[in-house]
Amino acid sequence: MAKSNTPAKSSILDAHVMSAEAALHDRFGLTYGQLQKVIADAVKGTGGKNGFCDVFLQAGSALGVSLDQGVIKSTSASHTSGAGVRVVVGDKTGYSHTDHVTVGNLRRCAMIARAISEHAVDSGNVPLSPVSSVPHDLYAVTDSPVGIELKERIALLRKMDQLARAYDARITNVTVGLFVEDYTVIIATSRGDIMADKRPLVRLNVSCLAEEGTRRETGSSGGGGRFGFEVLSDETYWREHVQIAAKQAVDLLGATAAPAGEMDVVLGGGWPGVLIHEAVGHGLEGDFNRKGTSAFSTLMGQSVASKLVTVIDDGTIADRRGSLNIDDEGTPTGRTVLIENGRLTGYLQDKQNASLMQSKLTGNGRRQDYRYAPMPRMTNTYMAEGESSPEEIIASVKYGIYATTFGGGQVDITNGDFTFSATGAFLIEDGKITRMVKGATLIGNGPKALHNVTMVGNDVSLDKGVGTCGKDGQGVPVGVGMPTIRINNITVGGSKS
Amino acid sequence: MPSEDLEKIARKIIAEAKRAGATDCDVTISTRSAVETTVRMGEVEKLEGAQMRGVEFRALVGHKSASTSTSDLSASAIKQMVRDTIAMAEASEADPYSGLPEVEDLCTGYPELNLYDPSIAEIAVERKIELAMAAESAAREADSRITNSDGASFNDSSGAFIHANSRGFVGGYQGSHVSLSAGVVASKDGEMQTGGWWATSRDFKGLESPEKVGKTAAQRALRQLGARKVKSQEVPVIYDPLMAARLLSQFIGAASGAHIYRKSSFMVDKLGEMVANSIVTVIDDPLMPGRLGSKPFDSEGMKCQTRTLIKDGRLETYLLSSYAGRKLNCKPNSGSVGNLYLKPGDSTPESIIESVKNGLLLTSVSGMGFNAVTGDYSMGASGTWIENGKLAYPVSGITVAGNVLEMFGNIEAIGNDLNFRSSTVSPTIKISKMTVAGE
Repeated sequence: MAKSNTPAKSSILDAHVMSAEAALHDRFGLTYGQLQKVIADAVKGTGGKNGFCDVFLQAGSALGVSLDQGVIKSTSASHTSGAGVRVVVGDKTGYSHTDHVTVGNLRRCAMIARAISEHAVDSGNVPLSPVSSVPHDLYAVTDSPVGIELKERIALLRKMDQLARAYDARITNVTVGLFVEDYTVIIATSRGDIMADKRPLVRLNVSCLAEEGTRRETGSSGGGGRFGFEVLSDETYWREHVQIAAKQAVDLLGATAAPAGEMDVVLGGGWPGVLIHEAVGHGLEGDFNRKGTSAFSTLMGQSVASKLVTVIDDGTIADRRGSLNIDDEGTPTGRTVLIENGRLTGYLQDKQNASLMQSKLTGNGRRQDYRYAPMPRMTNTYMAEGESSPEEIIASVKYGIYATTFGGGQVDITNGDFTFSATGAFLIEDGKITRMVKGATLIGNGPKALHNVTMVGNDVSLDKGVGTCGKDGQGVPVGVGMPTIRINNITVGGSKS
Repeated sequence: MPSEDLEKIARKIIAEAKRAGATDCDVTISTRSAVETTVRMGEVEKLEGAQMRGVEFRALVGHKSASTSTSDLSASAIKQMVRDTIAMAEASEADPYSGLPEVEDLCTGYPELNLYDPSIAEIAVERKIELAMAAESAAREADSRITNSDGASFNDSSGAFIHANSRGFVGGYQGSHVSLSAGVVASKDGEMQTGGWWATSRDFKGLESPEKVGKTAAQRALRQLGARKVKSQEVPVIYDPLMAARLLSQFIGAASGAHIYRKSSFMVDKLGEMVANSIVTVIDDPLMPGRLGSKPFDSEGMKCQTRTLIKDGRLETYLLSSYAGRKLNCKPNSGSVGNLYLKPGDSTPESIIESVKNGLLLTSVSGMGFNAVTGDYSMGASGTWIENGKLAYPVSGITVAGNVLEMFGNIEAIGNDLNFRSSTVSPTIKISKMTVAGE
């Protein structure tokens, strides 16, 4: 097929083409020629309307094992092999997938996908320029995590269970889960590209139940990323998570009701960055802004946060859960500054939305798996660090809460209201942490709340690698991060009015 | 793939597993075809169609178990899956409580529940597009303040599944779903509010009209325009049927046997106790013909029956899978619910609103602030403020908080407006006192 639209390829890209073709043959028994024919027919079927077609193939396994109440509760494996064919004409999309990859089934998918062109007009041929044409090499893995023996994985869970039970006599149950996966994805497009990525991902979760009288509380922790099992099985790594979970469960036994109302809030570093993910991240995804349904749609270039706030989405950080060598459309991931010193500077884009908005590709086209068409999604989204020390930030608050552990959050893209739920927090009185309070949901409005960030710490960190972001029913692994910050006048949803 | 073929494969897998050394096993095989038709701003935006299939297989070797899922149904892949799963079970550790249900708890013979509408597979794409277009235009034309759209979709899926185990259970049936949804944006003076609505049904005939879906979506967006915060205070909160259903699902989820034997629930030690006001009765009825949550047997092949979970405020039973039953030394009754509902009362929703002098009609919640261990509840909220028995103005940016045990104890009115639009449903309920946090 014609390669006239293909950007000049570097030798590294050529190497990737070779490995992609080899993977295609190994995992699916297909040749690149067969795939190109399917794609060419799909595009031809769009009747000269400048349709774009890509095929996303995915094969691999996920393994899980969990321990609960001192016994191995479940041992599971899930094997995936499938492909999705997409045809895009302008702002219209056709999609179909198969759980059984054969040339015949791919052709059938292409026929279903290209039916969209009957409802489309000529889209013109908008060129897309990737931010960088060189895929990254971000995962430090020598042995695939799915190759680790079950006995070895169980041994790790046993050690964690024992350590947690030894932490305090009030710990009465421990649940530990270990999930490892490794998927090969191949993306071939009608622009003549073929790319592959082999993506390992591991995750460890521990949850402790503490009991005292009739009072029960749980604490949990976990970590992971795109690295090998050896990182998780390192004693310092798992010990830290066990201790965080056990301590939180025991500490919460003494927590009292959280206060209710507007107050000043200090958020710790790392996982509380879920604030950024909800308050601004989703609202800056290209699809909502193209359609004009985001609270940020008309705010590009304008001030949306205090000058202390800079927010970045970066899919290129080595080993991270939210990182990818290439996104699920084959674009190398990038680093996009979303907010710079309070001013809105960037959107997150996939191919279709970048093309329609004539904006640059950012490498944020992602999907849960081959069953879904891609859309703009975050990777690792964090607030850059400032100059204050965490201690002086806490000391600056007269009355408020200090929250370090969160469950998750949610946002209404259109009106900008976001929530994120603390699983436990501390009361600050006269600049000092005085006691622990129970969890509460915090609520604010995206384009407004970040104007109230009055101090930003010098201790930025990313979360430990357990986040999954949901959008339109699709879950993808993401990272969040933040330094310690102070944010004034946030509504805290405690039960003590 | 027809059900007979699925049954054949299932039987083959079980025979193969027994030959390869499994002491017990079960398998679920499903196939489904689904089409999604999405329109936006009066044009077709997305068409998706796919045929899916999958196998889930669990093998027990003594008390050791392991499970595998795959979409590869070829004879060689199935053979490999069976062997690998047994090897994985052998390499795992024994759980004395693991196992299949006892034969006496398995379902034998079941009523026809009308879960499948063959006509769904015959609906032409053009007709689906028409319906989605009609829903979107009804929403966009409802009011001049509707200025944008998230689109409207007509989705359908039809499929079959079979569950079989080595203790002689084989059961399966065909099922279908069809749904129509719309989401639009209302705006005024730079403020935007989104509103959505959907209808879903087992059969095409039973689907709400596109006009109704569209108008409701528009009305839900419009009613939030001008939303403001209120001061923090303790007030009565009325949960509309959608919010009440969500709360009910969180409440009953805590009665799941898995939570109870792990002691990770506020429902521990509450069997036979009052867990709600005496006007509250909660029923699970998986055997209602044609309903969204209906099923003749559960995911383990155990027979489904109508259960009263909470009777006049008293907790009558936990939800017990065969595993939870063995752990708690109780007879299992299925660990999942079918059609779960709170029994309607006599009050109209209007009269419940009239009974509130100063309070909140809750129509949307957000966030993850529910802790099933303690029952502590804190959610982002929006809705309409009530003054002197009348809907006064929209509110947002606030939270509602309490403890669900206290909240259910404080249910002082139940509406007569039950509608089985989902598998978990509730009429309007009024909770006499909750903490609202705002300014």
